[in-house]
Amino acid sequence: METVPITLTVNGEKLALDVPAHRTLLELLKGEVHLTSPKLGCGIGECGACTVIMNGQAVNACLVLAAEADGAVISTAEGALDRDVLSALQQAFIDFGAIQCGFCTPGMLNSARALLARTAHPTRAEIVEALAGNFCRCTGYEPIIQAVEAVAGGHKPSSQSGAATVTGPYVGGATPRVDGIAKVAGTAAFVHDMVLPGMLHARILTSPHPAARIVRVDVEKARAMPGVKAVLTGADLPYKLGLYMEDKDILARGTVRHQGEAVAAVAAETVEQARVACEAIAVTYEPIDPVLDVHEAVRDGAPQVHPDVANYNWMKGVFFPKPGKNIAHHQKIRKGDVEKGFAEADRVFEFRFWNPQVQHVPLETHTAIATARADGEVEIITSAQSPFTVRHLFSHTFGIAQHKVRVRVPYVGGGFGGKAGIHLEPLVYCLSKAARGRPVKIVATREEEFNTLPCRQGLHSTIRTGVTKDGRIVAQEITYLWDAGAYADYGVNIGRAAAYSGAGPYVVPNCKIDSLVVYTNKVFGTAYRGFGHLEVLWGVERNMDLLARALGIDPYEFRRKNLLRVGETTITGERFTTGHGRPDECLRLVAEAIGWDDKRASTPAAAGSGIVRGKGLAMLHKAPAMPTFTSCSATILFNGDGSVNVLVSGVDYGQGTYTTLAQIAADELKLPVEKIRIPWESDTDYTPYDWQTVASRFSVMGGNAVIEAARDCLGQIKSVAAEVLRSPVEQIECENGVVWARGKKDKKLNYSQLVLGYSYPDGHSIGGPVIGRGRYIAQGLTNLDPETGQGLPALNWTYGAHGVEVEVDTDTGAVRVLKIASAFDVGKVLNVQQCRTQVIGGVVQGIGSAVIEKFVFEDGRLMNGSFTDYKIPTTKDVPGEMQQFFLETPHPQGPYGARGVAEHPMISVPGAVGNAVVNATGVEFFELPLDRERVYLALKRATQVTSQPNPVAPVMAGA
Amino acid sequence: MNGFRYERPTTVAQVTALLAEAAGKAKVLAGGTDLLVALRSGASRPELLVDIKRVEGLTEIRWTPAGDLEIGAAVEVRRIYEDPRIATAFPALAQGAAAIGSLQIRNRATVGGNLANASPCMDTAPPLLVLGASARVAGSAGERQVPLQSFFLGVKKTVLAPDEVLIAVIVPAPAAGLRSAFDKIKRIYGHDLALVNAAATFEPASRTLRAAVGSCGVTPILLPPLSGIAKSAGPEEAGRRLAALALEHICPIDDVRASAEYRRDMTALLCRRLVERLLGKSTGRR
Repeated sequence: METVPITLTVNGEKLALDVPAHRTLLELLKGEVHLTSPKLGCGIGECGACTVIMNGQAVNACLVLAAEADGAVISTAEGALDRDVLSALQQAFIDFGAIQCGFCTPGMLNSARALLARTAHPTRAEIVEALAGNFCRCTGYEPIIQAVEAVAGGHKPSSQSGAATVTGPYVGGATPRVDGIAKVAGTAAFVHDMVLPGMLHARILTSPHPAARIVRVDVEKARAMPGVKAVLTGADLPYKLGLYMEDKDILARGTVRHQGEAVAAVAAETVEQARVACEAIAVTYEPIDPVLDVHEAVRDGAPQVHPDVANYNWMKGVFFPKPGKNIAHHQKIRKGDVEKGFAEADRVFEFRFWNPQVQHVPLETHTAIATARADGEVEIITSAQSPFTVRHLFSHTFGIAQHKVRVRVPYVGGGFGGKAGIHLEPLVYCLSKAARGRPVKIVATREEEFNTLPCRQGLHSTIRTGVTKDGRIVAQEITYLWDAGAYADYGVNIGRAAAYSGAGPYVVPNCKIDSLVVYTNKVFGTAYRGFGHLEVLWGVERNMDLLARALGIDPYEFRRKNLLRVGETTITGERFTTGHGRPDECLRLVAEAIGWDDKRASTPAAAGSGIVRGKGLAMLHKAPAMPTFTSCSATILFNGDGSVNVLVSGVDYGQGTYTTLAQIAADELKLPVEKIRIPWESDTDYTPYDWQTVASRFSVMGGNAVIEAARDCLGQIKSVAAEVLRSPVEQIECENGVVWARGKKDKKLNYSQLVLGYSYPDGHSIGGPVIGRGRYIAQGLTNLDPETGQGLPALNWTYGAHGVEVEVDTDTGAVRVLKIASAFDVGKVLNVQQCRTQVIGGVVQGIGSAVIEKFVFEDGRLMNGSFTDYKIPTTKDVPGEMQQFFLETPHPQGPYGARGVAEHPMISVPGAVGNAVVNATGVEFFELPLDRERVYLALKRATQVTSQPNPVAPVMAGA
Repeated sequence: MNGFRYERPTTVAQVTALLAEAAGKAKVLAGGTDLLVALRSGASRPELLVDIKRVEGLTEIRWTPAGDLEIGAAVEVRRIYEDPRIATAFPALAQGAAAIGSLQIRNRATVGGNLANASPCMDTAPPLLVLGASARVAGSAGERQVPLQSFFLGVKKTVLAPDEVLIAVIVPAPAAGLRSAFDKIKRIYGHDLALVNAAATFEPASRTLRAAVGSCGVTPILLPPLSGIAKSAGPEEAGRRLAALALEHICPIDDVRASAEYRRDMTALLCRRLVERLLGKSTGRR
């Protein structure tokens, strides 16, 4: 191998190395230099996760050869620390909530540092420009921009650790992130950063065909290549995997069902060796006609993507596949009498809508390390949302007892649903087993993230609505056809959740919904932030505006008239109570914030400028979409000094739940929050059970479990204290780690004297270590009736609304969101900064779905499966103004009344933006995204053909 | 990426000798922002990389006494748009350079790499074409100068022989009062490849418009000059004429980034907008 001698200075340290000519600077910094902060996000210089400062300039370390850096001075996030003191910029990132998962944070900091070094007082525009090359999928950028602005304006950091000066109660306050320092210092270790002794590296070979029979796989050449320790094909792996529907191969067996599906894998000493060996595997395919169109797929006699679906295992009683129809699940909702409802309607309208497949785009791609030990035990370290679900599926698939499977989840660089369930873990386990137990690591390339790992399903919606003249919805008949792609292991639950939420937060007395999860030969779908809801609410909320316009009623009034209210029932028969919250107030707040009463734009665009402006509204609702039995637990372990470790197995992959749980624990245990630690690794060997971190359920369910565990601890502390203080236990009081008996304040005990057991002066000891146990399981949920969908599927509904003002450049079709106001009834704000930043991040992700993101397929092949052609919002794409409102109508089961609000900020952003674009342009839109070309061409056609621009003519019927 | 030999010569003669020796199996490395992507994907599998960033003279921006500009092939594009003299003399070039990728990319990408990579959507080509630039090319047999309009042969194809390297681009001194501008249509407000890009100049003495359009053919397309723009003709009429001319010469395709129809319409729009900027009073539009 050609090597090149180089010297370079990294964070002040001079290094002399011999590097292979093809080694990138990023590989060098992560490898030989052992830094954790530079991150690999794409490898093609699009995402900026690897940004370091080289000779004073921000550069993508993935696009610099180590050899080119000869003589260079390099600075990384680690170098921003000055003798362990955070820089003003790092502190500002914490203070402004500019961090979520933390994977983009070091690169973002470096871009900001390079800017501030060149320009002490940059303008906002200069900041936006300097950070535009750094993708962030969590924060929505605005808090980051504000942090940099603050430093440029001389912001004085609040304090070193942020929390030290804050005292309880913490719940409802703005406790800074407990993971803030690790993330701004770049020392938070993600699976991407981890190396185990003796670890091998895996690469996969994927199918170029959307559908084909695998005739022959020749691996002999690959097996003989240097460094190769294991080669596997589907023939070696007779397993089916899946959370709800066990339909997925680890490597394709006999048939490939989508382009990008893994057909073979290699583990070798280096990533390069594994990649080269994969290239040497010869696969002979016999292409077959792919099933691409969902409407074709469900027709009788259509070719079957899974001819054997009837023989698969699935969660019985909850999901209902239709063999021979390419249908993985059919969810029915039947309420009232739809025919009668339509007969009572004055007018009937039918509209069709479409959502494309999109991707989650976590900045950390899927990655896992597995070790198959000789004694049959397995250890997995994975970037997953749910260690226990990985363990459960693992154990189920391979028949290994659960206690012999250990799953560890450290810091995770974003998930958004895409890392729920199980993904690459089984493959690396099988490779480790084949490589005689050496640990094997796989890191998905960004291209594999798009082509091989799951996306969000596509959706075709048909919504037929019967309304009265005065604007009451009396009947609705809806078909949701989900383009699930090749597998529906998780997707079946999207079809289910979307159905029971599928009429929006409205009263629909007569409702019939058929939600069909349809297999096609495309990359498959899975949960994505608010799954099912963003998709159906695009149609539902566009439909509300279309109906309102047709009836000549203000869309705000039309929504108010039909909103769920106390005494009404949902489409699954759930009675709406005061505990459900105030959707009407959410709507009112956002309408007021954007000045809805004055439909004109707040500042009209100049006449003849080609710019038009408009406003739009949309409602949303969502409850955790999960099986009825999902449970959660927490353990609190007291340490001898009175500090505590709170153990949970929910994963904080950026959403900030650990900070919220620390606040809850501190308040409940009567301790300062600095005394609480939530270890940043969930580990099935040590942390207690939690089903999955999905569905906006962790703060609610985990919060309840922590409350119970903390109260359990206090009970134990008080009972020992009562004995020591010779007072009845009801008389014992605790505050700030101190215990006393009411009326006897002179005799105080510190927690530290009690929590490992109390020892009297004579040595006699009582009590013992205080260990608190808490648990929570949703109360009263039922499976839905298979024929009618009636039942109680939802722990807690969170209602919300968005109001949007947009401007559209009619010359190019470019949509810019000028303002977005968002309101949610969260029951109780647990952490005000986190609620705010969660909404900002979700809104910007929603803007991606609204105006930018889509998978483009050609004959089943994904044409834009990389950051070159799949774009997400950047700093330049954020709305001009974002406003957040939180209502606090307590939920009876929530911790302090709280509801989840993690996914909700994203869903209905497309509906609100779409309605605003329609109001701005006068042209109806039915398909997402509202990208520039779509908007431009629609306006052009509307001008060319002055007749009805609506591609689906409304069907009028009724009296 | 696959292995290769890495050389970092310091003279042009050494570069061309290395290239000649490698007989087509070498790649010239400047900023690397396109080349490293191709190396990673396996689209490019050279045996030798010749890094030209430390070659004498190739990282310099020079002006002749006559006002000609010579930009070394390894000058990073950020230096081009940050150079006040370039921004004054050749606004289109500064704007095109500033439109490339993200700041991280512009800190590495070079004008030589942008041109030699010969992607139809490169943002420096339309400005350089309308400004009448030429490429200084060195090979084993010596140097030659190639007008930029003859430099590109197709997608990722140029006139460079295997032993040749682009060492500089020369932009002739602007005619008196020459105005120029660049604009680009992309999918997002953030960094993106051009769906269409275009640059135009207006020479007041001859009242001539020149324009070049990228992303609408296998190479960027330099339109024939549109001379004799009547003084009475407003920017709207001149813009329409330029747009009509452009539509006669471009041949866009449908691809994953945009349809041919959108590209055609955006080409016309860019022509109108550029002419408005060159001839009209500011109307507040971009």
